Amino acid sequence: MTPILSAFDGGFGMRASWDIFCSVIDNFGDIGVTWRLARQLVAEHDQEVRLWVDDLECFARLCPAANAKDAQQLHQGVRVQHWLHDPLQQDPSPQDQPPSASAPDYSSVKAADVVIEAFACQLPDAYIAAMAQRARPSLWLNLEYLSAEDWVAGCHGLPSLQPRGLQKYFFFPGFTPDTGGLLREAGLIEQRRRFQQDPAARQQFLNSLGVIAQKNSRLVSLFSYENKSLFSWLDTLAAATRPTQLLVPQGRIIAELQEWLGVKQLSLNDQHQRGALKVQLLPFLSQPDYDRLLWSCDLNVVRGEDSFVRAQWAAKPLLWHIYPQQENAHMDKLDAFLKLYCHGLSPAAGTALQAQWHAWNSGLNMAKSEQALRQVWPELEAHSDAWCTQLSAQINISTALVQFFRKWL
Amino acid sequence: MKTAQEMKPNSVALIDNQPWLIQKAEFTKSGRNSAIVKMKLKNLLTGSATETVYKADDKMEQVILDRVDVTYSYSSDSVYVFMDEDYNQYELNADDLESVLPFIVEGMTDICAAVFFEGKVISVDLPTNIVRQLTYTEGSARGDTSGKVMKVARLANGTEIKVADFCNTDDWIEIDTRTGEYKSRAKAPA
Repeated sequence: MTPILSAFDGGFGMRASWDIFCSVIDNFGDIGVTWRLARQLVAEHDQEVRLWVDDLECFARLCPAANAKDAQQLHQGVRVQHWLHDPLQQDPSPQDQPPSASAPDYSSVKAADVVIEAFACQLPDAYIAAMAQRARPSLWLNLEYLSAEDWVAGCHGLPSLQPRGLQKYFFFPGFTPDTGGLLREAGLIEQRRRFQQDPAARQQFLNSLGVIAQKNSRLVSLFSYENKSLFSWLDTLAAATRPTQLLVPQGRIIAELQEWLGVKQLSLNDQHQRGALKVQLLPFLSQPDYDRLLWSCDLNVVRGEDSFVRAQWAAKPLLWHIYPQQENAHMDKLDAFLKLYCHGLSPAAGTALQAQWHAWNSGLNMAKSEQALRQVWPELEAHSDAWCTQLSAQINISTALVQFFRKWL
Repeated sequence: MKTAQEMKPNSVALIDNQPWLIQKAEFTKSGRNSAIVKMKLKNLLTGSATETVYKADDKMEQVILDRVDVTYSYSSDSVYVFMDEDYNQYELNADDLESVLPFIVEGMTDICAAVFFEGKVISVDLPTNIVRQLTYTEGSARGDTSGKVMKVARLANGTEIKVADFCNTDDWIEIDTRTGEYKSRAKAPA
């Protein structure tokens, strides 16, 4: 692929430098998105990328080759830098700071051509000063959260006036052409199609996880926050006519799953049968392996932002557990996505899907909505494939960011 | 310093040594538990306008402005004229009144505040609570008396506002100008 920046001028040279700042708040979404973006900028746009992350333990879960104790390391062309927050500055995640960590010295840090603060994290004051001190100040971008709400398009790409001559802009991912798009690696869709058309590859991958896919069983992956609807959903699956194999990568849902199963501790690859439902715990998966799991399953239950987007690229039906927000603000975001996603579905399928997603995100009983969904399942399968095709025609975030930088120059 | 969320329409922020009038501010929850404020700003030195976005907790330096009590007199060709107690007249373009324009009606008697920057009037603030008459609304569809069911009504200047279902045409209502929302039914001003 020809790097888009090869035709750049304006004093930034052929290869621009990027600093991406990531503060891990609670789960793997922040680092999942930024690590993916960093790799893509290097691999597909030949950019020089440094990823600042304040929780290397969390990073090492996603990148098994990483060492959580190395303050600086190189992985897949990305320089990964431990970000030690300045204790004098408001710290969004003080629990991630080792007590002995000292304030970083940014006087020797050269600010990058493009600086991304991911998910509204707070850049160090000294680093902002370094951005302003450059011959031409850095382009400063706030990469925002993903939302399908209407207001996103009206805010995407808008400036945020700053002192010291700095130019900052808000960059919003999204599902429509007037937003920054979604993260999607080059060739991802083709790679997924090849995998799904190759039963031997699917079986080999599942076997590598210790999974033996049963004939006629529905394969379902579960990656969710704690959820009050879980028990009723599992009850429904256990009572169903068609068998279900539920594959559960390690995560926050495990305690509730153990409670429903009535076991003290789930061990890796233990299998627990309850009626028509077989539950199997999987290890925490790397991003490529998690993609393959999504591609292998008939239904994917996902959460937050990164796994939610990856499930859409899997072109299979999904059930989204959205990140809960204060004052139920997340329900507006859920409905905004459903409005887009359900376009083109029959009224019966649209109603069934919305009922299930609302129940799952409101802690309601899942029995009725799960049964209604089964009546329209073939339509939902076809729709998820069509939705993926529609989304994949749009720009991906890394290309949109590089183009944004190019226009700014 | 104030946060972006605390900066209200018709206040002025000093950004990079330039005074910017906040003509409009919309608060929105973005993701997780963070929020943004989309603002329409006007540079008081150059007259240029821009749309901009801030994190709700971004710090902003507010410029303290002079204020004088005024009442609305009349409008002509998108120019709105206000007068103080000494009969001094202050003219403002509709663009400078964006946040209050929906509530300016002929004959209004509210004591407003003309806002000045370096001796020049830049905007007008309405009182927090104002009383306006409904010129049209549909009849009560559901007979609701709780005030929880809302319907659309119109003011004399054409502004549409959601009011309680029990409100009728010609009723007077109280409006919170900070949110632009209906508060309650009210008595006609004396």
